[in-house]
Amino acid sequence: MRLRVLPKGQVPDLVRALMADYRVWGPKAKGPQFAFEPLYDPAEMRLDYNISILSPKVALQPPQERVAVFRMDGGFTVEPVVEAEPTVIFGMHTCDLHALALLDRAFSADFPDAHYTERRQQALIVSIECLQPCDEHSFCKSMGTWTADSGYDLHLIDLGDAYAVYVGTEAGEALLAKYAPQARPAADAEVRRLNEVMSAKWPRFPHRLNFDAAELPALLATAYDHPIWTELGDRCLSCGSCTNVCPTCYCFNVIDSPELSLKEAVRLRRWDSCQLDEFARVASGENFREARAARQRHRMFRKGKWLYERFGELGCVGCGRCIRACLTHINIVDTFNAIHASQHRR
Amino acid sequence: MSKSSVAKPKVAFFDFASCEGCQLTVVDSLQTHLDLLDAVEIVNFREAATLNGWDFDIAFVEGSITRPHDEERLKRIREQAKILVALGACADTACVNALKNLQPPDEVRRYVYGEHADWYETYAARPLSAVVKVDAVIPGCPIDQEEFVEVVKALLVGKKPPIPDYPVCVECKLKGNVCMFHIGKVCLGPVTRAGCGAICPTYGDGCEGCRGIIPHPNENAMEEVLDEAGLTLDDIMHRFTMFNAYREVETGKW
Repeated sequence: MRLRVLPKGQVPDLVRALMADYRVWGPKAKGPQFAFEPLYDPAEMRLDYNISILSPKVALQPPQERVAVFRMDGGFTVEPVVEAEPTVIFGMHTCDLHALALLDRAFSADFPDAHYTERRQQALIVSIECLQPCDEHSFCKSMGTWTADSGYDLHLIDLGDAYAVYVGTEAGEALLAKYAPQARPAADAEVRRLNEVMSAKWPRFPHRLNFDAAELPALLATAYDHPIWTELGDRCLSCGSCTNVCPTCYCFNVIDSPELSLKEAVRLRRWDSCQLDEFARVASGENFREARAARQRHRMFRKGKWLYERFGELGCVGCGRCIRACLTHINIVDTFNAIHASQHRR
Repeated sequence: MSKSSVAKPKVAFFDFASCEGCQLTVVDSLQTHLDLLDAVEIVNFREAATLNGWDFDIAFVEGSITRPHDEERLKRIREQAKILVALGACADTACVNALKNLQPPDEVRRYVYGEHADWYETYAARPLSAVVKVDAVIPGCPIDQEEFVEVVKALLVGKKPPIPDYPVCVECKLKGNVCMFHIGKVCLGPVTRAGCGAICPTYGDGCEGCRGIIPHPNENAMEEVLDEAGLTLDDIMHRFTMFNAYREVETGKW
């Protein structure tokens, strides 16, 4: 892996140069919090953000998008719509980088999703290493996502007055050469500084799971009838916030909306949530996940077991967004810890 | 199917106790969606035209029912309409009209009509569905323009209008908003029916519940959220009273 150094003062120039050729998404202040949005001015970008309200997946799987257009004017034609443009996602944290790897698998498995994959292929990822935990809710260290050695095109690590830049791909190398020619190979002192920064990082991050996350699938395998699901169901508002903020949730609903002329219609897809009342209603009229408890269990099983069985990666990256978003304090770490504790009490 | 073989549905607008703001929103949407006028034939719309036809397929009815003889007129509308749509919160949930239901009816009448109170035979305000079968509702105070257009489209193709049964939080999150509770504000979004695009939180105000409560609210959980935000049980009831007094009187819950 190649290592470069980019003085901090040159980052705005890099972003401005990228903006000429790409849609550049980055973290911006939104009230007291942060959101990934398209940048219109490099000065808007806040690389010191703690965590974004929604994950940067918004750039690749937008909350709503058009996927097809129907024309019904003297015949019937269907035209797929793929809305993609050259994109740079700047400032992604490593938890979200791990989530992105999972989304890549989900959208390329079986029938590859043209809409996601086209956007993904046109996207370059410039990530940044977290040197502090974002708050008391993140548990990236427990989930092994608090750093990353792949999944990015470029990866920044804050050395104080400059960024160490790991080059992850040829595309990243080309991007740096074209848009940040000032980036230079790291000097010995800078490599030493990088090692110091990374060594100082480790002890700052706590483990919040009381056990090894690798045990999660096995732990949940015997927890299907655990009483905790009823407890969570009693507290759940079914507002869907936990899944809407989750970087690895990808479920969507499909909606057909005609023009008033009825000569044309557009097929939209919009994020959906397994926590909503009607999510599991099927054509027969039956709702096979009617109880809130069953829906919360479903979410926790997706994160801790089922996605692992499907894709070989846990479905949770420990970003803690679902915990922050939950108004009734449903907490995935506490839930997993409680199950672990009750099964190891005997 | 050729255009000439399908007659445009005949549409009528009526109102009962309301501010007529939802019909104004319809007038507004006619300006932004001119093709509405190509899609339907309006035969009765006192608010906007000198039309008073009674041969209609779809009736959009705004307003709450507050007098016995409102019922007769509404039932006549119902008999004529193939599809009856409650237009806006007054028709859907009785909205602010139901605030009077919290007071003794005679006192309310005297307060409003003074010495002529006896001339006006009014009773507790109620939504259309308390009197006749309602086929579809467009919630909100006022209605959302885009949602109105979507409902018209659904009716044109014979589909169930796409009114969400999930709470405002869903749309608020999809917009990427900062949660009102995270900046010390109170919001009824977690139990209020979505469809407004979370317009109030998007512009910095907590939801006041104008679109009515979702079908299966978790009442205990919501009360705990509001309690944690510093509201007493009385405060909580008052929050919901403005737009959901009818439900409050009928169910004894907020």
